[in-house]
Amino acid sequence: MTRWQSIIDKALVIAAVLALWQWGSMTAGAYWVPAPWPVVLALWDMMRTGEIFRHAGYTLQASLWGFLLGGIPGMALPFVLRRFPRLEAILDPFLVGGYGLPKLALAPLFILWFGIGIESKIALVTSVVFFLVYFNTAAGVRAIDPRLLLMARVIGAGELRIATQVIWPSAVPFIFAGFRVSTPYAIGGAVIAELISSNRGLGYLVQLGAMNFKTSQVFAAILAITLIVIGANAVVNGIERRLLRWRPSSKTASATASGGM
Amino acid sequence: MSEVSLLEVAGLGRRFPSRDGRSDARWVIQNLSFSVRDGEFVTVIGPSGAGKSTLLNMIAQTDAPSAGTISFKGAPVSNGDGAGLRPGLDCQIGYVFQDDTLLPWRTTIDNVLFPLEAQGRLDVHGRERAAALMDAVGLTGFERYYPHELSGGMRKRAALIRTLVYDPPIILMDEPFGALDAQTRVQLQEDLLRLWEAGRKTIIFITHDIAEAIALGDRALVLSRAPTHIIGEHHIDIPRPRNLRDIYAAPQFASLYEAIRAQVQ
Repeated sequence: MTRWQSIIDKALVIAAVLALWQWGSMTAGAYWVPAPWPVVLALWDMMRTGEIFRHAGYTLQASLWGFLLGGIPGMALPFVLRRFPRLEAILDPFLVGGYGLPKLALAPLFILWFGIGIESKIALVTSVVFFLVYFNTAAGVRAIDPRLLLMARVIGAGELRIATQVIWPSAVPFIFAGFRVSTPYAIGGAVIAELISSNRGLGYLVQLGAMNFKTSQVFAAILAITLIVIGANAVVNGIERRLLRWRPSSKTASATASGGM
Repeated sequence: MSEVSLLEVAGLGRRFPSRDGRSDARWVIQNLSFSVRDGEFVTVIGPSGAGKSTLLNMIAQTDAPSAGTISFKGAPVSNGDGAGLRPGLDCQIGYVFQDDTLLPWRTTIDNVLFPLEAQGRLDVHGRERAAALMDAVGLTGFERYYPHELSGGMRKRAALIRTLVYDPPIILMDEPFGALDAQTRVQLQEDLLRLWEAGRKTIIFITHDIAEAIALGDRALVLSRAPTHIIGEHHIDIPRPRNLRDIYAAPQFASLYEAIRAQVQ
């Protein structure tokens, strides 16, 4: 019942957005704002030739590598620093500085260092994802219930076991909050690096379309990027749901509250 | 049962620095001494704020005393500086906390098996022991449930047998049944006494409930207000097995209750 209601609500929102888009196209002129249907056709055309998949694959590759190269160290570092509070205190201002730094400003440097190939895109994505994941994971590691740590020590658990079986599971919601925020930034970072200089990728496709005044191609590429972000987000959410199966849903919580023993 | 004391606390003190850091440190516990025999069930009653949890933390080696010594089997275990703390004293001291401290992402049985896993002792024998304990407290059938799916009483039972499963010689209990309703509480007290009578562990049980201290213990110690020390010791000669639901009817109950109540300020 509520599920259908939600689907209907979403369909209404999509219809409203499409209507607004159509209206915008009619007012501004199809040359500046192509109508929805020609954009879908342009996307379909690029799908048929396989062009969009080649470019999307390139962008995804850069995003995924950057996500791994930034995400894994960003996730691991708080667990290491927990054991060395002095080192953490020394590094903290630098990490905060790195987090606050506008990474886009680094893009020209990365191109100078790594060339216009995929490496410079990966570097940009890595620099964005690392800090987002680091700060979220660090918050999760700090949020551990000290009573659980005390219990684990008393029963004789070693530090490695405490890290993997007590702190890690309790930090998972925080780590995934970091991942969820990072996902669009990872894809967006790759796209922007491609916009600046590339001969492949969805960012390049946007740039090429704009240079040739083919606004429908620009819109189609942006639509593709949006769909990829939504898809990637669904994947991250799916993994998180699997890892957090133990968490109470609001339904079961109210069910046990009434059952006494 | 031997008369040798298993645990000996002598002249124990603990002070905490004052809030502003200028005035003298405040003693929460000072000159506190008692000993516990092997297999004895000792209850400790004290007013709130008497440093009851601090006392157990020092015995469990999760906090270092500022003065005095704690000896286990005749050997001193604390050196006073806190650097060499061995929480749980190599799994010889079990600790049932005020809250159940179950790991919410582990099922009931995996929570109960956690100590054996952590100690590298998880084998067929350990699993059988866990199953027997689950059965003894009525948790059979709930093995695959997560803590949030259990009632408060069931969570307490799981936390209790999680400590019993690895068989530490001493078990510390910090007001474990405090937050339960009266009915559940008596059931859990009965479970605890049944398990204790079967295994004869040494138990130090903290409570602020005089009736509970009398119902469960061989001996009840009464704590003063801070700086805390022991101001009363009562041997509870109510024969076992005890009927907890009618403990008030025991002929010794009224006089013990009065004597303890007069000391608890």
